[in-house]
Amino acid sequence: MNLSISRLKICKIKWWQWLSSLLLVQILAACSQVSSHTPATKVSSESKDEIVLAFSWEDFDDKGFDPTMGWNYYGPPLFQSTLLRRNENLELVNDLAQNYTISSDRKIWTFKIREDVRFSDGQPLTAEDVAYTFNQTKESGGLVDLSALDKAVVKGNYEVELHLKQPRITFINQIANLGIVPKYAHNKNYLRNPIGSGPYRLVQWNPGEQIIAEANPYYYGTPPNIKRLVILLTLEDATLAAAKAGRVDVARIPPSLAIQQIPGMNLYAHRSDGHAGLMLPYIPNTGKKTSQGYSIGNDVTADPAIRQAINYAINRQVLVDAILEGYGSPAYTPVSGMPWEEAKAKIQDADASKAKQILAAAGWQDNNGDGILEKKGLKAEFSILYPAKDSIRQGLALAVAQMLKPIGIQVNAEGRSWKEIEHRLHSDVVLYVLGTYDPLILYNLYHSSVAQGNWQNPGYYGNPTVDQNLDKGMIAASETEARLFWQKVQWDGQTGITSKGDAASTWLVSPDQTYFVNSCLDLGKQKQVTHNYTGSILANITSWKWNCD
Amino acid sequence: MKHIWRFLLQKFLHFLLLLVALSVISFVLVSLSPVNPVDAYIGADVMRVGAEQRELIAQRWGLDQPMTTRFFLWLGQVVQGNLGTSMTYNQTVSQVIAERFEASLALMGLAWLFSGAFGVLLGIVAGTEEGSLLDRVIRTYAYTLASAPAFWIALLLLIIFSVTLQVTPICCATPPGTLAVDVTLWQKLHHLLLPALTLSVIGVANIALHTREKLIEILHSNYALFAYAQGETTTGVVLHHGLRNVALPAITLQFASLGELFGGSVLIEKVFNYPGLGDATVQAALRSDVPLLLGIVFFSATFVFIGNTLADLSYQIIDPRIRFGKST
Repeated sequence: MNLSISRLKICKIKWWQWLSSLLLVQILAACSQVSSHTPATKVSSESKDEIVLAFSWEDFDDKGFDPTMGWNYYGPPLFQSTLLRRNENLELVNDLAQNYTISSDRKIWTFKIREDVRFSDGQPLTAEDVAYTFNQTKESGGLVDLSALDKAVVKGNYEVELHLKQPRITFINQIANLGIVPKYAHNKNYLRNPIGSGPYRLVQWNPGEQIIAEANPYYYGTPPNIKRLVILLTLEDATLAAAKAGRVDVARIPPSLAIQQIPGMNLYAHRSDGHAGLMLPYIPNTGKKTSQGYSIGNDVTADPAIRQAINYAINRQVLVDAILEGYGSPAYTPVSGMPWEEAKAKIQDADASKAKQILAAAGWQDNNGDGILEKKGLKAEFSILYPAKDSIRQGLALAVAQMLKPIGIQVNAEGRSWKEIEHRLHSDVVLYVLGTYDPLILYNLYHSSVAQGNWQNPGYYGNPTVDQNLDKGMIAASETEARLFWQKVQWDGQTGITSKGDAASTWLVSPDQTYFVNSCLDLGKQKQVTHNYTGSILANITSWKWNCD
Repeated sequence: MKHIWRFLLQKFLHFLLLLVALSVISFVLVSLSPVNPVDAYIGADVMRVGAEQRELIAQRWGLDQPMTTRFFLWLGQVVQGNLGTSMTYNQTVSQVIAERFEASLALMGLAWLFSGAFGVLLGIVAGTEEGSLLDRVIRTYAYTLASAPAFWIALLLLIIFSVTLQVTPICCATPPGTLAVDVTLWQKLHHLLLPALTLSVIGVANIALHTREKLIEILHSNYALFAYAQGETTTGVVLHHGLRNVALPAITLQFASLGELFGGSVLIEKVFNYPGLGDATVQAALRSDVPLLLGIVFFSATFVFIGNTLADLSYQIIDPRIRFGKST
C-alpha cells in the first residue's frame, strides 16, 4: 500500500492526487474516519448489570422461542420455566411444581403447581396454561416428541394431570425440558415475542445476530444478579475473535482452542453431556436393505471378537490428550459422567496384547504377512465415516485408525457429507457425537425395535436381555429405580452393550465444555476446571455475579 | 407513447415466462437435492425425535406429499399471493424476505453506488491518461480486484480492519447489546461500511475497465480530433464528448451487475455475519426449505429484471439514436 501512495505522489497534477486518495478510499476510508470516534460498539464490561455471552450455538437456527415448537434445547429455557428442572448436579428438582405423584399404574402423573407464579406480563400462571402447553406441543409437529403423552387434563386451578399412553419414566425429561407458555398469549407471533415465567424476558432478538434479555420482574425464584444478558449468535471463529477483542464476557469455544490465553479471561472447563463413539454394524451383510434401499450389515464388525478387540486396543486417554488438548475424559459408555452410568462397564484399555489374544482366539490370523488379519478369506478392514468439516471427529477417526493398525485391523478414515454417511450408516462404522441428559438415549441407540433404517440404532443391534432391561427401565416407577435398569443395560455382569458384553459400539471420549470467562465474573462454581459438574452452564445463571469493583 | 406501452407489455410477458421457468427449474432442483428437509428441520435433535414425531413433522410441513402435488399446491397458493411458510424461520416467507431485504437493501444499495461511482471515475482517469503510470496502477488494481474472490477480500479486510486495527466492527448490522431504537445512524453506517466496500469491489473492476476502453476509443475518434482542432482541452473533450458515450456501457454493466451483487452479498453477508437476504438464501438451501428458497428466487429475479428494464429505459434518455419511435 505504501508503495502505491509514494508512487502516486510523483504525479504533479493536483486532481490526480485527489484521485489517488479516492483510489485508496475503497480500502482506507474506514481508517481515517472511524478511528476519530470512540468505538461505540465496545460493550463495556464495567457495567455491572450486563454480561455479553457467545455460545457458538452451531445449530441455533432462528426458529424462535416457542417451547411448544422446540425452544430450550440448550439448557434452561430462560424465558419460560419448567415444572421440574435439573440442577447443577443433574438432580431433578421442583421448579413450577410443588410436588407430583405418579399413579399406581404409572400412567397418570399429577402435578401440584406453585400458586405465586406470574408470567412476565403480570398475569398468573395456572393449570390451564400447563395443560395447554402439553396438549399443544403434542400436536404442533415441532421438535418436541411428546408421542408418549395421551392428554393433559386440568384438575383444579393449580393441579394438572398428565395421562400417558403407557408407563414411561423417561417422560420426566420431557417435563424437565418443556417451558410453560401462557394459553391466552400463545399465537403465531409467540416465537418472536415470548411471554413466560422464566428468570429473564426477551427484549429484542435480531435473528442471526443477537438476543437481548433482561431480568423478569415477576420471576418467582431468586432474582438474578445480572440484570441484562446479551447473547451473541456468533460461530466459533467469530466468538473467539470477539473474546480476544474484549467484547464478550462468556465465550464458549471448542476444547481444541482452549489452550490459548486471553488477557482478562479465565478458562472454565467442565464435563459436558457430549459423547463421541464408533457405531459398529452388529449384523453381517446378508443382502438385507433398509426401506430406502441402503444395505445393512458388515461382515467384519459383525464378529464380536473384532468389536471387543477395538474396544480394548484403543487408548482413550491419548485421544483426550492429543485431540481434545486434555479437555475431556475417556468414555466407555454413551452416558459416561451421568448418574446412570455403570461404573463396572469400564475396562483397562490401551491393551494391544489382550486385543490380539481376543482376535487370535476367534481365528483371525495374518496369513499373507501384509500386517492385516484375515479369517476365512475375509480381511479385517473397515471404514470409519465422519462429517468432513468437523476437525475433532477427523482427528478421532485418524487416531483410531493408527491405534488399530498394530493389532492388524485396517481402518480407512473417510470424511464424507452427511448425506453419504446416511446412505452407509448401517453398513459402515460411523463416528457419532451425541449430547443429551436424557437416559432415553440408551433406548434409542440400543433397543432392537428402533433399528428402522435411520440414525437410531444404526448398527441393528439386538440382544433380548438388553431389550428387556430397556423396557423395564422405561416403565420403572421412578427415576432412581430406572437407573438400575439403565446400568444393567450397560453391563449386568453377564451381558450388556459395553466392551465386556456385546461391545455394540466403541465409545471413545467425552469432550468438556470449555468457556473463556471474564475474570471479574463469578459463575458460582467452585473450581474453574472441574469434572464434578455436568449440567448446562446456564443452569445456575441466576446466581452469577460480578466480583470486581 | 404507444411504443413504450408495447415495450412494457412485451417485457411483462417475458417476465411471466421467466417466473414460470424459474419456479419449475428451482422446484425440480431442490427436490433432487440430497438434503432431507425433515432431517434438516430436526437437526441435532435426531436422537430425540421418534418415528411417530417424524411423521407428524412431515405432515405439518406437507412433506409427506409427492413432489408434483407439492408443486401444484404451492403454485395455487402463489397465484393467490401467498408464498408459504418457511420451515427454517417458522415465519411466512414474505415476512422473512421483507425483514431480510431491509438489511440487504442498504448493503447492496451502498455497494452499488460505490462501485458505479468509483468504476466510472477510475475508468475515465485511466482512459484519459492511457499508458501512463496512473493508468497502469489503476489497471493493476482493477485486474487484481477482478481476479480475487469477493469472500477472500472480505476475510482479508475483516482481519486487517476488525481484528488487527479494530476500527470496524467484527460482525452484525448493529452493535451488540444495543436496542433497535437506540441504534444511531452512525452506528448503522459503521457496521455497513466494510461489507459495503467489499461488496462494491465486485463491480468496480468491470466497470472501470470497460469505461476505460470506451473512452480510449472516443478519444481516438474523428470527432474528438475535430474538437481538439477547435482548441478543446483533453478535460473538455472528456466532459463534453466522452461522458455521454461512456455512460452507455457503464449503465448496462451497472444494472447487469445487480445479479452479481445478489450473488456476492450471499458470501459477504456470511463472512461479516450480516443478517441479510444472502444469509437467508444459504439457510434455505442448506435445509431444503423450498418455499423460502423459491420466494427468494422469485424476489431476486424480479429485482434483477426491473434493474435491466430500467437500464433499457435509461438508454432512451441518454442516447437519442435508440429512442422509441425512431425508424429502424
